[in-house]
Amino acid sequence: MAERVEIRSVQAYQVLMADYYKEAKTAYRNGKKVAWITSGGPVELLHCFDVIPVYPENHGAMCGATHMAAGLAEIAEERGYSRDLCSYARADIGSMMTKGGPIGGLPRPDMLVCCNNICGTVLKWYEEAARFFSCPLFILDTPFVRGDAPDYSIDYVEAQMREYIAFLEEHTGIPFSDERFVEVAAKSLYALSQWKEVLACSEHRPAPMNCFDAFIHMAPIVTLRGTQTVIDYYQGLLDEMHERVEQGIAAVPGEKHRLLWDNIPIWYEMSSLSDLFASLETCLVADTYTSAWSFDKIDIDRPIRSFAEAYTDIFLNINLERMVDKAVSLARRYQADGMIMHSNRSCKPYSLGQYDNARAFTERTGLPVLILEADHTDSRQYSKAQAEERIRAFVETL
Amino acid sequence: MSTRAPGDILSDFMGLWRDPYPALAARAAAGERLIGYFCSYAPEELIHAAGLTPVRIVGQERNLSRADAHLQGYCCSLARTDLDMALAGELSFLEGAVFVQTCDTMQRLSDIWRLNTSFPFHGDFVLPARMGDRVAEDYTAAELSSFRDLLQGYLGQEIEEPALRNSIRVYQRNRELLRQLYGLLPSGALKGSEAISAVMAGGWLRKEDHNRRLEELLAGLEPGSGGTGARLLITGSLCTTPDFVAMVEELGAHVVDDDLCCGGRYIEGDAKDSGEPIREMARRLSDRTTCPAKHSPSWDRAEYLLDKVKRSGAQGVIFFLQNFCDPHAFDYPWLRERLQKEGIAVLLLESQLQTPALEQMRTRVEAFLEILGGE
Ligand code: SF4
Ligand code: SF4
Repeated sequence: MAERVEIRSVQAYQVLMADYYKEAKTAYRNGKKVAWITSGGPVELLHCFDVIPVYPENHGAMCGATHMAAGLAEIAEERGYSRDLCSYARADIGSMMTKGGPIGGLPRPDMLVCCNNICGTVLKWYEEAARFFSCPLFILDTPFVRGDAPDYSIDYVEAQMREYIAFLEEHTGIPFSDERFVEVAAKSLYALSQWKEVLACSEHRPAPMNCFDAFIHMAPIVTLRGTQTVIDYYQGLLDEMHERVEQGIAAVPGEKHRLLWDNIPIWYEMSSLSDLFASLETCLVADTYTSAWSFDKIDIDRPIRSFAEAYTDIFLNINLERMVDKAVSLARRYQADGMIMHSNRSCKPYSLGQYDNARAFTERTGLPVLILEADHTDSRQYSKAQAEERIRAFVETL
Repeated sequence: MSTRAPGDILSDFMGLWRDPYPALAARAAAGERLIGYFCSYAPEELIHAAGLTPVRIVGQERNLSRADAHLQGYCCSLARTDLDMALAGELSFLEGAVFVQTCDTMQRLSDIWRLNTSFPFHGDFVLPARMGDRVAEDYTAAELSSFRDLLQGYLGQEIEEPALRNSIRVYQRNRELLRQLYGLLPSGALKGSEAISAVMAGGWLRKEDHNRRLEELLAGLEPGSGGTGARLLITGSLCTTPDFVAMVEELGAHVVDDDLCCGGRYIEGDAKDSGEPIREMARRLSDRTTCPAKHSPSWDRAEYLLDKVKRSGAQGVIFFLQNFCDPHAFDYPWLRERLQKEGIAVLLLESQLQTPALEQMRTRVEAFLEILGGE
């Protein structure tokens, strides 16, 4: 079996993320403000106001990947947080209380921005953070969408986008600039299109990267879209992917099977699962998670309105049929042979409905689905031997 | 018309709470058109004005047979049992249901329900998570209008404004009567379980009928002399069984108030019949920030709870929570802290409809009451 060829851009990625966290952690020394924001929140506006965005969910994932989440979660549990709550929230609250975790806790926020387009958990989590840090909290409420969002729903979100701007003006003392916003929004859109192109490279056989790579390289698009640094970084990654496609370098050498992944990764098992799939000559070519950062609806000529639309219409805020549509379209585009669904006990909006989605997916594509019960960061909820056994058995049937 | 004794009225309420479904089935068989709902933010007045009766579906203690194929074990037992009953055909007395998107679970349950059942009517009511301000109120009014259109389209007829005004009046009257009843709790004129049963029964009776019974009940109740036992307040989402509250009372506690979604919280917020009806409904919903799934910058749930404790003279608070219910579980740690800081004792009990552990709870409540008694 051929050796796996590492993705070079990982180095650029590490530098980028280290710089970013360093900047965030030392923001107070440089007179910069820090906002905590949810992964589905409109981060572009923070960049307009020179506020450094920090993502507790990304932090949760880091805690998971470094096997520190369960310990931090226990601290929150001792305070009374139920073990059944999202482990991102539990780990982050534990870290908030003790400054524990891989980077000694997130930098203290000057403000909090919570958009509930991903879940109701973030609403409660940010309420707790607002109490803990006694800092201002802005809620951007995006009503759930079935089919197409009605106009009044978008009106509601648009009105809140304007409140969001006023909130940032108030807490930064900087006046809003339309020009600056259009500039940042254009950069964000450009980075989003680069990211889409990066992911699309895996339509190629063999795929030059797999989901495990995407789970890593997605961090900048989540945190820093809207900045030039991110554009430069994704350009490098994109060039490398094109090069790999040309040279036929595969993420999984000897790629035999191609699978989709649904839901957030099992962060603490990234490397062992990646090895397992490689040994099974199976490539996870696409997933519903990293491709959620695409925002097809943004129209730069009416930025605020179209931001309201785009942020309301994201993957976790739509009905089940539309979620299946997306999985089916990924399966076709990436010529997948099946799908693995991570039933993630932490994340109800992502996971409830998966059983029905799995059946609908199979009905429409004829492809098999394996559902794995786990948790994205709480390793106490995962049975490794059993999961690996089931993956092996599943791949055998392909 | 002969008046009925308070005890008889209350035991009817209690009977409904124990098992509401046979009575609902009988009424449906007699021609009443029933629409199920699960959340106290349901736009009941609109359904009522359309000539349909909104009835609350609250699950049942049972083992699941069908829902497991659709909902994971980490979904709250209310959603799972409600779905199980629907799939088993046990809710066939319903013409349909309306889903208020209060939590992530309800949001998903609506789709799963729609895809796997064949009730003639299916409604979604997407409530904002932000409450208590004009922006959210405008959105709520638009969503209410859209729900009205859905109902009208389904029925093929208009919901006339006078009818809606009347429904708003009937519902407002209902809340006022229930509040009067709750006002009698600290005096011991009736038991906490009885007051909750009165609210619960209103989830199954036509409101006009419920109001008549409440009036009769209020007229017949003797003033209490203060009651005995440790004074408790129960908070949580939905208490699906009277057995739990009755057990607490049997152990000698005096339940002086509650903050349950099927009790004291249901009767929060006023809608007048003076303004534009949809706007009035929106205003009430938007003012009613009491649910932990809702956010309002100007609202502090701990203050609200402390105020309730103070007014009712409660010495302790029992959190009766459903397993896997995120909004409530998230509020527990800080509410506990705030209550304890004020010297209020707190007990957490978690319940699951599939395996209600009443015996285990009894021991814990006993111990809790001992602590309170010792103070
Ligand atoms: S994992 Fe799910 S529940 Fe947790 S914060 Fe993310 S979207 Fe919300
Ligand atoms: S009990 Fe909690 S999780 Fe379940 S439907 Fe009610 S609010 Fe949602």
